[in-house]
Amino acid sequence: MSTPDNVHTLPVLPIKNTVLFPFMLLPLNVGRPASIAVIEAALASEEKELVVAALRDANVENPDLKDLYSIGTKAVIKKMARKADGTLEVVLLGVDRVVLLKLDPQGNYQTARVKPLPLVEERSPEIEALRREVSDLAGRALALIQPQAAEELRRLIAASKESIRPLYTLAPMFGLELKEEQALLEAPTLADSLRLMHAYLTREIQVLELRSKIANEAQSEMGKEQREYILRQQMRAIQKELDGENPEKSEIALLRERLAKTVLPEEVRKEAERELARLERLPPAAPDYHVTRTYLEFLLELPWCKATEAVIDISRARQVLDEDHYDLREVKDRILEHLGVLKLNPTAKAPILCFVGPPGVGKTSLGQSIARALGRKFERLSLGGLHDEAELRGHRRTYIGAMPGRIIQAIRRAGVNNPVLMLDEIDKIGRDFRGDPAAALLEILDPEQNRSFRDNYLDLPFDLSKIFFVTTANTLDTIPAPLLDRIEVLRLPGYSEEEKMEIAKRYLIPRQLRETGLRPEDCIFTDEALRGIISLYTREAGVRQLERAIGSIARKLALRHAEGNTEAVTIRLEDLEAYLGPRRFSPEQARRELPPGVATGLAWTETGGEVLYVEATLLPNGRGMILTGQLGAVMQESARAAQSYIWSHADELGIDRHLFRRNGVHIHAPAGAIPKDGPSAGVTMATALASVYSRVPVRSDTAMTGEITLVGLVLPVGGIKEKVLAARRAGIKHVILPRENQKDLRDLPEGVAREMEFIFADVIKDVLRAAMPQLTARFAA
Amino acid sequence: MKDSLHPRTVVFTAVDEVNETRWRPAADIFRTPTGWLIKYDLAGVKAEETTISIAGSQVTIQGVRRDCRLEDGSSYYSMEISYNRFERTIELPCDLAAARVEVQGRDGILMLRLICQGEEP
Repeated sequence: MSTPDNVHTLPVLPIKNTVLFPFMLLPLNVGRPASIAVIEAALASEEKELVVAALRDANVENPDLKDLYSIGTKAVIKKMARKADGTLEVVLLGVDRVVLLKLDPQGNYQTARVKPLPLVEERSPEIEALRREVSDLAGRALALIQPQAAEELRRLIAASKESIRPLYTLAPMFGLELKEEQALLEAPTLADSLRLMHAYLTREIQVLELRSKIANEAQSEMGKEQREYILRQQMRAIQKELDGENPEKSEIALLRERLAKTVLPEEVRKEAERELARLERLPPAAPDYHVTRTYLEFLLELPWCKATEAVIDISRARQVLDEDHYDLREVKDRILEHLGVLKLNPTAKAPILCFVGPPGVGKTSLGQSIARALGRKFERLSLGGLHDEAELRGHRRTYIGAMPGRIIQAIRRAGVNNPVLMLDEIDKIGRDFRGDPAAALLEILDPEQNRSFRDNYLDLPFDLSKIFFVTTANTLDTIPAPLLDRIEVLRLPGYSEEEKMEIAKRYLIPRQLRETGLRPEDCIFTDEALRGIISLYTREAGVRQLERAIGSIARKLALRHAEGNTEAVTIRLEDLEAYLGPRRFSPEQARRELPPGVATGLAWTETGGEVLYVEATLLPNGRGMILTGQLGAVMQESARAAQSYIWSHADELGIDRHLFRRNGVHIHAPAGAIPKDGPSAGVTMATALASVYSRVPVRSDTAMTGEITLVGLVLPVGGIKEKVLAARRAGIKHVILPRENQKDLRDLPEGVAREMEFIFADVIKDVLRAAMPQLTARFAA
Repeated sequence: MKDSLHPRTVVFTAVDEVNETRWRPAADIFRTPTGWLIKYDLAGVKAEETTISIAGSQVTIQGVRRDCRLEDGSSYYSMEISYNRFERTIELPCDLAAARVEVQGRDGILMLRLICQGEEP
């Protein structure tokens, strides 16, 4: 059957999942008819030869050339026996490596034209070295699999003259994959096969060693924990195979690398190294492992020595502040002053500012623009409703799920140790059995102590003194005195109509148009329209409602624009109802006629100023004084002082003393549902009482504010700007103020002072003279 | 199947017999007055398909045993005889370079006679 170039035709036996190597005996049980036919054909020949080739895919039933590996093995049938069930038992001996050239169907089996493919067996020191190494590895691997056979086999390998034979003999013993076995068979040279085998054995030994270690340990104690350990070890072995390295160890190495790279204070570095050493000793399954790792990661993330290097440029800062906010001279000056100080003394302590004012006046955004002006990072955290000290100071690490406090977290977010840190709503901190967060703030906000602030979680001192703290509050009343003592209060009073107009034109309208996607020229607001929005649709100290109203108009225009009606629109006063619906507030809220016993007062609220009426009436046959309208203790006392003053000066005021004896008096301050307190309604109540007893009405175009004393002095009060603006909003032109409050009028916007008339009072008589000219005419007479 | 925790059982025969690709005929070796006589169990092997070579003190015999055609329609029920290539090398305790070789086949046994001249047995 042979042809000159050694090409034979032999029957082909495809086999699954295994490779027959030369020198190897393969016992087979042949049951498939096609395979039986192959064996029969081989038996019928003189030389009992056939070709064995592995199937690429074990599931193929009728393979052709492409389903078989093209390199197979010529084999001789050594033994054969027919069994009762019709299957054949054969023993095949692998003889030669051959290449399958072509398959020909031959009845119900196939023959192949094959050509021998002898292995190139060159000799070189490298091959000798490889051979020894492989033989060594094989010995070790066998010692792990079959210790009793290892010695014998090692001798065989050492004694073998043919270098390839031991490789082929060894291959089936190490559970190699079909592809790996086939690659070994296909290796063109001895050196290639040795290298392949070396790689297989090296990997195999690693796995075997791990497994035998696990098996040994598993035998010693097979408890539940042990089982988990084994599984975890196996998982690690697999992971190692996949990634080529130990994940936990590399994690620690990464941390160590980061630690080496990060600039840290000496104390912190020591602590970090101690923790890292502890982490290395911990098994990854220990609960402490993650706690320590998280801690270390946090420690390394904190900006211990990282600060924003800002060039101090005062003119630029001024420009930034002016760009972002209208007016607010006092606040801007304070910030620029601090910048000036920093320029001369870069280590100066940052001040702790507190912006106090009604909602919507721009406290929070002012913080942002301070950061912008200083060139620092900005971080903000709201303290509203906070009532657990641990929120600020953190939990100690011993607790499960412990976290650093919000201050330290904010610093981490900022990534530098000198950010502008805004603590919002400092007046709304709660307090309960879990501790008093305001007390924790005392340490944080004290420039003397916060140089070494100790967070419970961190347990290392952190320097907060470089942070520019800015706090905000709506009112100072609820801030504890020791805290108030540490902060520098800057008031942001409400805006007047003119200021709101300016703010709307400069900031709100451009912003809302930008957000709705309109161009500035698409929508023009007339001054009358703006004033209309401010007075007819909003009532506030800030500008939030105003911005919402402008936004609402802008959205409606955007809709029209999107529908194709792209002509520019001018918003006039008379258009407002079409855009915003019926007017919500009446501009003229002052009462036009006041009956005797009613006086117009001015009150300060968190949302700005308000006009407040005090009504007094006599109760025939009554006794004493009734006070209603949710008046606070101070206000009630102030009402009694007013009453006592009027009674004691009845003669001077021309009041009939019998009225006191025969009548009780009732004082009421609407609206009845809103709690009111404070001394500033003193003059109003005195005026109302004087009016009710004397039956002389008070001028309806005059409002007043001021505290009174029992002897009739008028003392200064706060919130003058808001109160005057409220009076103006209500259409009241005359305002009576304590003389000492004259200085506060400087805060009023341009123009307001000019159109109002102010009367300054030293004593209550000055007030009565201005508010009730008829009465004064009487007692002057 | 590929679980190496339970590796395939490997059966070993005597060391020098492991995994040859050729079969080894059985042989008896005799010391004779003139030299050596080796009887090879080589039934069914044609003399012209056998090669004998001598190198130093080694005698090597190799060749092919081909199955002979029997009557048509027959098929194997079992097979134990080794076919195909065979090879056997025997080392003797003397130099054979000068030995004379005589080969004779009788009833399936191949007789190989080595006559060593000038050397006392």
